[in-house]
Amino acid sequence: MASTVIGAGITIEGEVTSDEDVVVQGTLRGKLVAKDAVTVEHGGVVEADITSGPVSVAGSVTGNISSNDRVDLQNGAKVVGNVKATRITIADGAQFKGNVDMDV
Amino acid sequence: MATGHATTVIGSSSFVRGRITGSGDVEIAGRVEGDVTCSGDVLVDAGGLVAANISARRIVVRGAVKGDLTAEDAVILEAGARVVGDLRAPRIAIAQGGLVRGHVQTGAAGAARPRAASAVASRATPSNERVAAKSVARVEHAPAKKQAPPAPAARASSSGNHAETRERPKAATRVGPPPPVVPVLKKGTKAVAHHKKR
Repeated sequence: MASTVIGAGITIEGEVTSDEDVVVQGTLRGKLVAKDAVTVEHGGVVEADITSGPVSVAGSVTGNISSNDRVDLQNGAKVVGNVKATRITIADGAQFKGNVDMDV
Repeated sequence: MATGHATTVIGSSSFVRGRITGSGDVEIAGRVEGDVTCSGDVLVDAGGLVAANISARRIVVRGAVKGDLTAEDAVILEAGARVVGDLRAPRIAIAQGGLVRGHVQTGAAGAARPRAASAVASRATPSNERVAAKSVARVEHAPAKKQAPPAPAARASSSGNHAETRERPKAATRVGPPPPVVPVLKKGTKAVAHHKKR
């Protein structure tokens, strides 16, 4: 499993750039750019703009999400910011405030 | 993991510019520019590149680090490690093939450099003591000057030669217990003062 994990209890303040999967269980402030999937797990906090492949959110995201694939807001997710993606799902129980932009 | 926290991994194709703080272990296989401070273990893997200071309970390096390493428990440089910066930890291991450029100091993580120097001097064998003390004195000259100033003035009131002869036996008998640093330094500074007077 070659991926980047920001574990619970860890805070990164700054910019994270990755060519691989990124999993956030802790806290990330700044900017997140990934070529592959980004997963914000339950308890994970992202206060940053996310630019990446598929995004799955079960934690909290404050910032804009821009994906070249799909964005899934799962149950328990809390997202404040604009979402730009080709496909998007918002599960029952997900909190979301912002604009959705899908290339139509 | 061992501490019960999830491990943080910076993958080999990841780049973090900024601070990494918190509890738990951190494993770095990619690039990090920014200080790493955590209460768990930090592992800089082969291929990992860190341009920042690292402070943790235990630091294991197999990759490259440019910055100071400070550990509460141990710093371990394994084969392939390249470190430019100071190492400070109670225990330091440098394996064959590990490269270091910097100041290396064992002892409590919080200990200041002068103290460590005195520890080295007190550890020296009696026959070597004077030489060791002299070299220490030279190294420690700058910091000592801050403490010294009152002393020469006080000594100057008494005869300079007497003070000097008094000093020597002290140096000889001092073998057992610790820090010779301060008296030795006084002597050095005073000698300098004498030369100036003459």
